[in-house]
Amino acid sequence: MLKESVISELQKIVGKDNVLTAPEALKAYSYDGTTSWIHEPDAVVFPTTTDEVSRIMKLANAEKIPVTPRGGGTNVSGGSVPWLGGIVMTMTKFNKILRVDKENLTATVEPGVVLQDLTMRLAKDGLFFPPDPQSFLGATMGGIISENAGGPAGVKYGVTKQYILGIEVVLANGDIIHLGGRTLKNVVGYDLLHIFISGEGTLGVITKAELKLNPLPQARKTLCVVYDDVAVAGEGVFRVLENGVIPCKIEMIDNWVINRIEEMMPIGLPKDADACLLFEVDGMPEVVEKEAEKIAEITKKYGAKEARIAPNQDEANKYWLARRAGFAAVFGKAKQVFAEDVTVPRGNIPAFIKKIREIAKTFDVEIVVLGHAGDGNLHPAVLTDPANKDHYERALKAVDAIIESAAVEFGGVLSGEHGIGLEKKKFMRKVTEPAVINMMKGIKALIDPNNIMNPGKIWE
Amino acid sequence: MKDLKELKKIEQFSDQCMKCGFCSFFCPVYQEEKMETSVARGKNFLIKEVLAGRQEFTPEMGDIIGKCLLCKRCAANCPSKTQIDRVVVGARAQMVKEKGLGAIKNFAFRKVMANRKAFGKYARLMQKFQWMMPTTEGKIKHLPDFVKGLGKRNFPALSKTFLRDQVKPVYKPQNGQQAKMRVGFFMGCAMDFVYPELGLKIIDFLTRHGVEVVVPEDQNCCGAAIYFSGDLETGRMLADLNIKAYKDLNVDYIVTGCGTCSSTLKDYQKYLPDNEDQLQRYTEFEKKIKDSTEFIIDILKVPPEEFKLKKEFEGKTATWHDPCHLIRYQNIKDQPRAILKALKGLKFVEMPNADLCCGMGGSFSVYHYDLTKKIALKKMDGIKATGADIVVTACPGCMINLLDNVLLNKMPQKVHHLLELVE
Repeated sequence: MLKESVISELQKIVGKDNVLTAPEALKAYSYDGTTSWIHEPDAVVFPTTTDEVSRIMKLANAEKIPVTPRGGGTNVSGGSVPWLGGIVMTMTKFNKILRVDKENLTATVEPGVVLQDLTMRLAKDGLFFPPDPQSFLGATMGGIISENAGGPAGVKYGVTKQYILGIEVVLANGDIIHLGGRTLKNVVGYDLLHIFISGEGTLGVITKAELKLNPLPQARKTLCVVYDDVAVAGEGVFRVLENGVIPCKIEMIDNWVINRIEEMMPIGLPKDADACLLFEVDGMPEVVEKEAEKIAEITKKYGAKEARIAPNQDEANKYWLARRAGFAAVFGKAKQVFAEDVTVPRGNIPAFIKKIREIAKTFDVEIVVLGHAGDGNLHPAVLTDPANKDHYERALKAVDAIIESAAVEFGGVLSGEHGIGLEKKKFMRKVTEPAVINMMKGIKALIDPNNIMNPGKIWE
Repeated sequence: MKDLKELKKIEQFSDQCMKCGFCSFFCPVYQEEKMETSVARGKNFLIKEVLAGRQEFTPEMGDIIGKCLLCKRCAANCPSKTQIDRVVVGARAQMVKEKGLGAIKNFAFRKVMANRKAFGKYARLMQKFQWMMPTTEGKIKHLPDFVKGLGKRNFPALSKTFLRDQVKPVYKPQNGQQAKMRVGFFMGCAMDFVYPELGLKIIDFLTRHGVEVVVPEDQNCCGAAIYFSGDLETGRMLADLNIKAYKDLNVDYIVTGCGTCSSTLKDYQKYLPDNEDQLQRYTEFEKKIKDSTEFIIDILKVPPEEFKLKKEFEGKTATWHDPCHLIRYQNIKDQPRAILKALKGLKFVEMPNADLCCGMGGSFSVYHYDLTKKIALKKMDGIKATGADIVVTACPGCMINLLDNVLLNKMPQKVHHLLELVE
């Protein structure tokens, strides 16, 4: 519970309508996109300027009240859940696109801008922001930066951190600092910008960002490549790349997902296929034609059963709609889903997929794969039901085994794009050197000595 | 343990939500308020809390579940296909069950709207006093400032003679044609009290195309505002009255020119049943219901050359507004466009976001008029972008709200029902 005086201070800063304390409102800010990480805040505030954020932070710091920054709340790590209560600082009303600079291919945005709104605005000028977390309909720029989000396009374009030139941050004590700048090159001292990108809101509140943009590609082509063996599909990924084509997306859906999609919205995916790879290439019209043909040729050479180049955008859209529906299909079929975010080097995809199948067998649980194969971010998902205790225990063990094998055996990482938050906390220590954790703690103590910024997350 | 019967009915739909939050992008209310309590995910979470016994129907909770247009934009775009409209209506029903309707709705729904004669009487009473309402232009009145709750809104005048007082019980096909089929006409409240000429026009169109039309006198309000507010009991009473009104008329279809009415009549089976018998009867009734646009194109199959544009619209540019109750409740979007495109002499231009809710939401606009105006502003932007002379739709509810907002924003466009354009 916050003191009356704190509530009235907050109301003075952002106005009465922008401070919520009704029990119903607090409940509505107790969750994010995960299934079971839930904790209520004591108040929800909606700042709309950097100055307001700074004044809120000064107040919270003086009173040692936890502050959890939150945007659209679409994250899937527990990152925006106020684990120790306190204030949820919601940025959804702090949401202007301040500038689109065609000459420099940059944009300046406030933290509450929704990615899809930005995409639509930029398209008017023939530009785009390449990172494409699939929560783009709700995800806000502050969160995208804080989680260093990525998506299918990562294989060609990389992730958020490659597209942030500079940010404005309000620190725990209310100080306003600027990191990075507006230039592509910048080597002025330590690269502190990148500590805040992927800081998961534990170091400060991002209040403005300078984004690097690309010109919108003129053409796209989609391929659906069918495999009898999911591991061979895994090999197809790096064969295409090593033969000189860099698609903007390579997505994998396995047999289980294909069949769920066909149940939900039949679009003619081959139900007996062990897996499909969906490729998208983008660029100049002549180039995408050639690249699509080349992908069909290479994948067939390396064991694909069939490679279908979508003849038109309608069919292409169908494949991508199916890919997105796959996500819902998985979540709709089980009471609880552990959607893992482990990422392995591409060359290890086939071996890792085989390992996942073994793990599923060992623990007798369903593990499905629908992920960004192009960058090794496979999202194996373990399906279970907490009500079935025995099954749930086995599912947990399967998750442990997946993480262990990905991160240790195959030289990958615990999380590729979701972040640690609460969901992956218990694995963090297992896969991170103690000296590195200590360094993180040291940085946190330096920047936020009272530990009020999104406490309880990552390494805590 | 409390009896959560109405909520239990929708629990399975509520469970579908996986909290991805994509609904926020499509929700007109969230887009204005940017608060989690405005959007489907937030409402659904809180309704689940009620189901879990951790949340009561407090006044705040009432506000939260009340602040939904039921436009179904979120549901239409939901990756896990959560039918949030059913969840919200179920929650409202549960709340009505526990807390009652409140004096105003109780009077409006149960004493006035549920009783055709009483509704007519009150409408006539209003009609007598509408000279007190200042006139905006022609037949458009606006509510005076002292009706504070409703704000200063523009309103089409109530008609001098209601449709029910003008219609005959049976209309034979014109020009001595043999009747192709026999349909029951469902007028709906807005057409009855505000747009009677439109009702006659639709009957005329149908009879000219070889349809015999019967208009039962004891038809009632469809019940939209009533059951969507959670008063399922009165909703069922109206459903039963309407089913009875058409029961022995031996009609092939029941046709209405109001998008909300057609969807409401079709959806009795979805929102209202309390037992197997009702489910069966409402499902049976649904099969007969056709929206006028759907009936004309899909059933009558009127060919394009038979649509003649009325003289006064010659050379005009028209744009189309998709009523939520047509496009998302009934998947009717091509039929009205087919009619518009068939009208030679009329230029048809799509507006951006044609499917965006106009902001009316039935009683939503009574309780949240400021929000209605803000949401309508986006619709107005779309209309402006087309440079159209007329905004065409097929739901009198939308027409009333579009008219109000066109005038509020001092725009030149006229608002028309699609079938007003047709000779």
